[in-house]
Amino acid sequence: MESGCDRERLCDFAFDELAAPARAEMERHLAGCAACAAELAQLQLTTAALRVLPDREIPQRIAFVSDKVFQPSPVVRFFSSFWNSGARLAFASACVLAAAIVFSAYRRPAETQSHPQSVVTAGMTRDELSHEMDARINKAVSDAVARVHQEDARVTKAALESADRKAEQQRRELMVAMGEQMNTLQKRLGVLTEYAMAGPERNAGTGQ
Amino acid sequence: MIFRAVEDADLIVRARRGDVEAFNLLVSRWEKRVFNYLLRLTGSPDDSLDLSQDVFLKAYQNIRKLDDPARFGPWLFRIAHNEACSDFRKRRPEAHEDAAALADREAAPGIALDLSLAVSTALDRLTAEQREAVVLKVYQGFKFEEIAEILGAPVSTVKSRLYTALGLLKEELAPANKRGTK
Repeated sequence: MESGCDRERLCDFAFDELAAPARAEMERHLAGCAACAAELAQLQLTTAALRVLPDREIPQRIAFVSDKVFQPSPVVRFFSSFWNSGARLAFASACVLAAAIVFSAYRRPAETQSHPQSVVTAGMTRDELSHEMDARINKAVSDAVARVHQEDARVTKAALESADRKAEQQRRELMVAMGEQMNTLQKRLGVLTEYAMAGPERNAGTGQ
Repeated sequence: MIFRAVEDADLIVRARRGDVEAFNLLVSRWEKRVFNYLLRLTGSPDDSLDLSQDVFLKAYQNIRKLDDPARFGPWLFRIAHNEACSDFRKRRPEAHEDAAALADREAAPGIALDLSLAVSTALDRLTAEQREAVVLKVYQGFKFEEIAEILGAPVSTVKSRLYTALGLLKEELAPANKRGTK
């Protein structure tokens, strides 16, 4: 072998224990090193010679029989195998989910009653569902129209009451104004009457 | 290979829960490899079968201690290695089966008998540690890292044992190879 040749690495190469880069490096080395190539051939010949001795069949099969005394009962084994299986997680998840659904259903009964229209119509036929939807739409429209009518009546009534109050107030103001004018006229009439009564007396005084 | 590993992992999970049938299926997949590993260490089919049963019994008893099911192979062979060592210490004075007789039985069809005999003889001349490294690498196909885990030794030690053993085997088998390839 030349200097720089590594017998241990050559053996590793022969037993396929080298990583890909080291293997490629060894292949390049073998291409240029006749001594290592011959050593590798000898090694492969030796291992091939060793393998002429074949494996023998076992003369008697080995098997174990479990003693039932030490075995757990079938129920315990079933539960144990079930609980230790992959289904354990799925079963636990399903239990948690079911508990959450039941809890949620019992926790919010008032809300579901206050919205009867949101009840799921499972099991209804297509026609029944269509009728149900039409009835709900008609009812909703009727309710809306009634609400509009009620609102209109309320507004009209309020407007009439407001107009009545305004007219009453104007009538009162007119009555007050008329009263004041009557007073003024009465006062003027009184003054004129006094003046008229005082006129003859004044003429009699000047006629003497 | 990946599919096989996934299936083994599934069987290991079931065996951990006490499923004996799952463990028996696991045994059926690995028993031949474990038996042949022990056979190449001990040289005795009967001892190897007994040891194999002990190995799988210990594996069943300790399978909950296996951290990573993907490492089942090295873990199982670690048990087998310990069992073989323990048995070797107990039976040390006993002579193993004649290597020539073993080779005679194991010779593959169409393979020259003298090559099989030469291989068995050459393997028998290695130290137990060297032979085990060769068995785990050449016959069982483990990676160096896995062999180190099985033997409880550093990777560098494993490589040292293996490459020394291969050097010796090359010298031992060179004449047989020449005859076998003629």
